Amino acid sequence: MKINIEQALGKNVKVTDKKLVTVIRTNKVNFYYTRDKKTLDNINITISEKKVTAFIGPSGCGKSTLLRCFNRMNDLIPGIKMTGKIEIEGNDIYSPDVKLEDLRKKIGMVFQKSNPFPMTIWENVAFGPKVNGITSKSDLDEIVEFSLTQGDLWKEVKDRLNSSAMDLSGGQQQRLCIARALANKPDIILMDEPASSLDPISTNKIEETISELKNNYTIVIVTHNMQQAARVSEYTAFMMTGNIIEFNETSALFTNPKEKLTEDYITGRFG
Amino acid sequence: MNRIKTFWKKGDPYILFTGAGLIFSLGMVLLMLGIIIFNGMDAFWPKNISEYQLKDGSKFLGEIWDTKKDYLLKPDSTYGVVEEVKVKTGNRDIYGSDFKWLYHKDIKTSNEPQEAVCFERWEYGNFYGFINAVSIFDKRYTFQNKDLIEKANEALAKTLDNRNKEENIEKKLNDLMRPLSEVQRELSLIDINENVNKIKVEKLNKKAEELQNKIEKAYTKLSNDLTKLKEEDSQIIVSVTIADGTNIDVPMSKVLRLYQPNKMSTISKSFFYVKKVWEFLIADPRESNTEGGVFPAIFGTVIMVLLMSIVVVPFGVAAAIYLNEYAKQGFLIRMIRLSVVNLAGVPSIVFGIFGLGFFIYIIGGTIDQLFFTSELPSPTFGTGGILWASLTLALLTLPVVVVATEEGLLAVPKENKQGALALGATKWQMIRKVVLPSIMPGILTGMILAISRGAGEVAPLMITGVVKLAPALPFDLSFPFLHLDRKFMHLGFHIYDVGFQSPNVEAALPMVYTTAFLLVLIVVTLNLVAIYFRNNLRNKYKSSTF
Repeated sequence: MKINIEQALGKNVKVTDKKLVTVIRTNKVNFYYTRDKKTLDNINITISEKKVTAFIGPSGCGKSTLLRCFNRMNDLIPGIKMTGKIEIEGNDIYSPDVKLEDLRKKIGMVFQKSNPFPMTIWENVAFGPKVNGITSKSDLDEIVEFSLTQGDLWKEVKDRLNSSAMDLSGGQQQRLCIARALANKPDIILMDEPASSLDPISTNKIEETISELKNNYTIVIVTHNMQQAARVSEYTAFMMTGNIIEFNETSALFTNPKEKLTEDYITGRFG
Repeated sequence: MNRIKTFWKKGDPYILFTGAGLIFSLGMVLLMLGIIIFNGMDAFWPKNISEYQLKDGSKFLGEIWDTKKDYLLKPDSTYGVVEEVKVKTGNRDIYGSDFKWLYHKDIKTSNEPQEAVCFERWEYGNFYGFINAVSIFDKRYTFQNKDLIEKANEALAKTLDNRNKEENIEKKLNDLMRPLSEVQRELSLIDINENVNKIKVEKLNKKAEELQNKIEKAYTKLSNDLTKLKEEDSQIIVSVTIADGTNIDVPMSKVLRLYQPNKMSTISKSFFYVKKVWEFLIADPRESNTEGGVFPAIFGTVIMVLLMSIVVVPFGVAAAIYLNEYAKQGFLIRMIRLSVVNLAGVPSIVFGIFGLGFFIYIIGGTIDQLFFTSELPSPTFGTGGILWASLTLALLTLPVVVVATEEGLLAVPKENKQGALALGATKWQMIRKVVLPSIMPGILTGMILAISRGAGEVAPLMITGVVKLAPALPFDLSFPFLHLDRKFMHLGFHIYDVGFQSPNVEAALPMVYTTAFLLVLIVVTLNLVAIYFRNNLRNKYKSSTF
């Protein structure tokens, strides 16, 4: 079957549910890693508050790049170029008077590979609040306990907060990273394939954590795993070759895809 | 044909080649260490004293040091092979040299007389002979006394005690004279300049006079004590019969230690050995460094290496962090990195010349002009010293630290850096809290390499502050404790000096090996300490477990 990509282009879909509060809004975002390599092409998407939004799509479709635009992690890469506008809570995050540190404090991020710092568990969780100016030990203790509880790790580590984070298992490390992101009391949490290097049990645990968190945080999750997207998210965007092909409520997207490309992808015909 | 092809393809010969390469390299290193250790360890073992009677009637007494075959020119212009033995006959002041080669064919008898004594002297090396008599003041003990050797030891103990007292008195005299000599020095400086006010000179003269009056009494008393002790020394004499039968009177005050190796059991020899090793480690050198200990050299080496590390590590780490984390990667940075790496290949003597020209003459000279004018024209920092030597070596080892730190930096997971930034940390917070702790093992590796390189370097030190014999240690209890301007001794230079510059190279050979062994040992020890710390850190920061 021939896929008509041309037809699919430019049909970026907006979710227009009046009851939802928009947190992230992108407007005609184009992104280039090098001058002639366009990775994101005219992305327009709105992400709603306190919902889990999943980005799915084949490798290299630009879902991680889009995610990293939201907390400006792409700024670290030399030679990139971005056009368009990204608004978070109504503010243009690429305007010159935005302080990067403040932006990233508000938007937590969990990476594909768990990345605990070579410190104790306590120090890992307290890292964010500390660099953002909280110095009181009791305040930090409180934040650490709160974050670890939210990250579903408190019970497992409360007796060994001062041992190295490197001694935790892979799944625990990833939940520690989630807790560490929560310690900054962010509004939004970006997750870049958070369970892709974990075993099924650990993955399950992470997914449970995500479902508990969605009541309080806006979560954007990038995943390779369509079942995972179906399980944890309320909205799903299917991306391909730098475009959002379809964006809809997860149940609708998976049961009744409007686009041929989406249907092909979720039925496993390619990707 | 096919089988040969398979043989080469399978790669067995390459295993052989590479293995042979490894064995060769390892073998050479082990051989070197073996020779150094064997010769170094052997140096302090008390050797037996042999007595040789030659066919022409002459007699020699001494330690066997070597036996070898040599070629001898015969009257018919052909060479014949003779076996000969190298005997350390000592008694340098009598025979003129320490060693004597004896042909086997000339030797009539040889034996190891029980009563033979080796006297270690403060000067002129060992003295071998038989004790004939001992006089302590007006008492004289001869061979009729059975405990003659004990009497000799008693006399030795007395002179050693006197020696200590004399040294103490001399030190006190020095302290006493210091204020006076300072005033005199000031006076002499004023005399050189013509336009001085007379009042100042008069004042100083008066002060000198006052001081002189003040110390006169104490001075006389101390000098009297000293004379008395010297007189006592001159009355303690041991009469020694040397190999040819003549009796020589040796003042006991010239002797440091006496022993009868032929009588000693293995156990007492071991004790003797340990004592000698201990002396080697903690005593000052004697006899233009060919005897005694090497403590100042050990001390100088360690202090210099520590100073070097203190300087080179922060600078090297800072440079590496800038190169890797802050600088915009491009042609310029690539060039800089290449230059830094190539700096390691510059011959060390070039660094020495730079140290002399820049650190000593320009910086040191300026410091003298600004802060030590009263000492001029004699330089304080404008001459070689431990500070300049350490800085020169720091420069020399900088590339090593930079490269090792950079390798550490490259090994820090990108995720960790991004993780820190994603939490709202600034770049510096990220570097300080996440990157620096993770690269500590790398930094320590750099330090280990720098120490290994720095501790063994001699050439640049020779022109930036190392001396054959330093009058004082660079660190002592007088303010400001660490004397950066002082010249110092260094084991590497010590080896060169003793082995190749001393007047009596042959006798100093064991010292060369021992010092070389010690230098290797110190470098290894410093490395082990650093490796211990590195492993501790590695355990702390070991990577994740899945």
